[in-house]
Amino acid sequence: MGLFMRGFLAAAALALSTGLAAAQVTVKWLHIEANPAQVKIWEEVARDFESKNPGVKVDMQYLENEAYKAKAPTLLQSRDRPHIIYSWAGGVLKAQVEAGVLEDITAQVQNFKASLSPSAVASFTIGGKIYGLPHTVSQVGFMANKELLAKAGLDAAKILTWDDLLDATKKLKAAGITPIAVGGADKWPVHFYWTHLAGRIGGKAAFDAALRGQDGGFEADTFQKAGELFKQLIDLQPFQNGFLGFKSQQAIGHFGDGKAAMILAISSFYHTQKVFAADKVGISDDKLAWINFPVVPGGKGDATDTLGGVNGWLITKGAPKEAVNFVMHFISPDVQKRLAGGNFLIPTVTGAESGLGSAFMRNIAQNIAKSKYHQNFWDQDLGPSVGRVVNDATAELAGGTMTPRQVAKAIQDAFKQGN
Amino acid sequence: MTALSLRSDGSGKLTTLVLFLPPALMLFTLFVVLPIGEAAWYSGFNWNGFGVPVNWIGLDNYRFVFGHKAFATAFKNNLLIIAVSLLVQLPLALALAIILADRFRGAVALRMVFFLPYILAEIATGLIFSFVYDGDYGLLAAIYRVFGAEAPHLLASSTTAFPAILLVIVWKYFGFHMMLFIAALQGMDRNMVEAARIDGATRWQVLRFIVIPTLYPTIRLSVFFAIVGSLQLFDLVMPLTRGGPADSSHTMVSFLYNFGVTRMRVGFGSAVGVILFVVCVTFAFGYKRWIMRDE
Amino acid sequence: MSEDNATVPFSEDGWSPAAFAKAAFLGIVLIFVVTPLIATLLGGLKSLGELRTNPFGLPQVWEWENYAGILGSKRYWQLLFNSLVIASLTVVITLLVASMAAFAFAHLHFFGSRMLLNYLTMGLLFPAATAILPMFIKVRDLGLLDSYFGVVLPQVAFALAMSILLMRRFFKDLPGELLEAALVDGCSYINFFRYVTLPLSRPILATVGTITFVHSWNAYLVPLVMLNSDSLYPWPLGIMVYQGEYSTEWHLILAFITLTILPTILLFFFAQKHIIAGLTAGSVKG
Repeated sequence: MGLFMRGFLAAAALALSTGLAAAQVTVKWLHIEANPAQVKIWEEVARDFESKNPGVKVDMQYLENEAYKAKAPTLLQSRDRPHIIYSWAGGVLKAQVEAGVLEDITAQVQNFKASLSPSAVASFTIGGKIYGLPHTVSQVGFMANKELLAKAGLDAAKILTWDDLLDATKKLKAAGITPIAVGGADKWPVHFYWTHLAGRIGGKAAFDAALRGQDGGFEADTFQKAGELFKQLIDLQPFQNGFLGFKSQQAIGHFGDGKAAMILAISSFYHTQKVFAADKVGISDDKLAWINFPVVPGGKGDATDTLGGVNGWLITKGAPKEAVNFVMHFISPDVQKRLAGGNFLIPTVTGAESGLGSAFMRNIAQNIAKSKYHQNFWDQDLGPSVGRVVNDATAELAGGTMTPRQVAKAIQDAFKQGN
Repeated sequence: MTALSLRSDGSGKLTTLVLFLPPALMLFTLFVVLPIGEAAWYSGFNWNGFGVPVNWIGLDNYRFVFGHKAFATAFKNNLLIIAVSLLVQLPLALALAIILADRFRGAVALRMVFFLPYILAEIATGLIFSFVYDGDYGLLAAIYRVFGAEAPHLLASSTTAFPAILLVIVWKYFGFHMMLFIAALQGMDRNMVEAARIDGATRWQVLRFIVIPTLYPTIRLSVFFAIVGSLQLFDLVMPLTRGGPADSSHTMVSFLYNFGVTRMRVGFGSAVGVILFVVCVTFAFGYKRWIMRDE
Repeated sequence: MSEDNATVPFSEDGWSPAAFAKAAFLGIVLIFVVTPLIATLLGGLKSLGELRTNPFGLPQVWEWENYAGILGSKRYWQLLFNSLVIASLTVVITLLVASMAAFAFAHLHFFGSRMLLNYLTMGLLFPAATAILPMFIKVRDLGLLDSYFGVVLPQVAFALAMSILLMRRFFKDLPGELLEAALVDGCSYINFFRYVTLPLSRPILATVGTITFVHSWNAYLVPLVMLNSDSLYPWPLGIMVYQGEYSTEWHLILAFITLTILPTILLFFFAQKHIIAGLTAGSVKG
């Protein structure tokens, strides 16, 4: 009877999902969220899940963003890897799927996924199978300090083209204000410039063509031009003193401290600029402006195109089904509305964006909703090896040790090496 | 001794051998020798570490390594460390050893203090100096402020980051080399020095013709350690610069870590490892043959 | 520096210009060495604001909370505990395995002994980093990733070469008549090793043990690659994570650094003889 009974019980537990099973299940959840205010809510969500699912324990682990990216490849090879890990989707996700370290959760989330934005779910679908669930999307653009801009006689709403940005940079420099903060040590904040410029110049078509290897791939004119335009900005020395030594968090703090007029930001910097500011208050909403990435006149990219992230949680191979249950709980409308209400993220649950607390974040949500081409971060989208080279090379461009041509070539070389 | 060389009786020589040798040999083979061999094998593949390597690309990984801008920089940086070790650190250590080998009040305490940095973890040392160099909060910044100037962010500029690391290397390792020299000086025959002094040799002559020549073997050893140490330097780089800015301050090992391990390019990283291995072994044998030949 | 008086080398020259130059030279080096250390210690006692304006001097307001907060956290003790476990296991296994092998090489004359010893000494020629990726794969395939032993065993393997050489030399230098007499009396090699060699070898065991301990305690690369769970992190990994979290809050980072290097410094003062002997061991014979 033992076997039969056990099977029956397991089935009953599954059906009722009340966790009748006496055995303790621990769900290991690895996150990279650095804002204590948000982590506190996440912890409450985890405790809430535990109370609704007796016998399940959610064990939260934290790694700093860069440390996580460095650790992930080795981490995933371990037998007792975390069950839930953070993901930016894209080529990195694809490589992880190919490596066989992720769990196919298609069946378990079949009904649940209807509540989420279909395009976001698509990002976590590879070959028709779902490996994770998205909980937020984001947009890259300039976050600006209106007060500092005003000192140089500038208006955030009037910075529309790349030339406007160059002009604003010059005026800010003349006024003795650091125009832009950037976390050059982490490299990826720098690659936003080059990749977004490429998007503005060549649009989706150019990116797709490069992937197919047309016109010299990433050495095509679009990408050379992106480097040259970025170089125009670099030559104005727009960044804070010592920017190549700043980690992203430090650069965000620099902006939050009011020491730089702008920062090329992911929309989530909206709340982290408060956390990393020395006074923990940062720039208040009334002084904060959002500038969509400037357009390049004559460029093929549409002004509404967005660069940004689709972030979510992957379930690793061999994880207990409770891990998926927890992620579904985490991305439930209630929790999403709560996080949106705190302005921590742009939610992926359809309709939850109405809960966004601030006009700033609602604007971002609208931008993304309007966008017909939301390009994922290149360093993630191009896969683990090529993406990292984009970061390496663009950081060298910013540091003055590579030319636009060399950048394009380095990326194309990495792409040809194909690993 | 001869009496027991061929006995295999109650003394249990064979049993002892069978019990005593295998643990060391197995551990060593498993974690040191096999991985080196495997590195050579893996370096022919494009492999992300999962499953078994199948994508054979021959010597391409070596081509990629040698064609990599950051690897050239890393190699150059390793040479720079060696140069600084020989031209700055070694003379400094030698001078201090000669002074501190004398007995005077405080000499022993000073030796200890100068040796202290050596036993601190590289990670802690690196963090301490990233504070020292910090352009906003650091000691250096404070000194600049005294003169009313804004401090440079040494670790944030491609031209100054590595020289700043070199200074930390001297800070951390000179005490070790000093101790080597002191140990040698204390083993030196004092009578010779006394005799020379009585014969009217100046202090400088004593130093030049008696003390330094007796230190030659130790100098060679110190050079050996400096070079081997340079080739494996990694821990200091991570907290200071992680190889940045713009990959200007990598050493070969930090290059291996950043471009091989964290990107799980097992083949590429193994190729770097093999290159490093060849450099180390060539150096070690060459050094033994050419410099230690007269021992 | 209050020690200046004590450091003036009173050689036979007395207060000659040469002696003065020496004293000045020593003073400069002393300042060079201790300033970062003292600033670290004191920096942990300041507020961030004060650190910025007064990084060198004594704190105007002594912020003991920086230290108290860390000492009161589970995190700090967990890191020290992990380091202690990893270093102790490394030391115990290294001493055991190396002393047995060293004994065999010192006293058991057997065919190929020279060759095997040379084989083991290869470990001195290259650093662990060269084969870190294959070593990672090996540890993974053995199922030891993210465990203490995944760090301990590679560390032991790389400590073996030097340990065996040092011990073998020491064992050989023990009076040979002891062994002969023991064997004549019917004592086995194993018993001789157990009851005579090891007790007589405390100095070399202490030296090798201390030095292995220090290396393991300070190690970064192998634990970095082999460990994933922060509950297993030794302190060098933990402090890097800490620094990542508190990136610009230098007063906390400095306090954390001070508290993590303190055990090393204490160990150094209690076991300096062994540490110096061990670390400079190669110099005796080259």
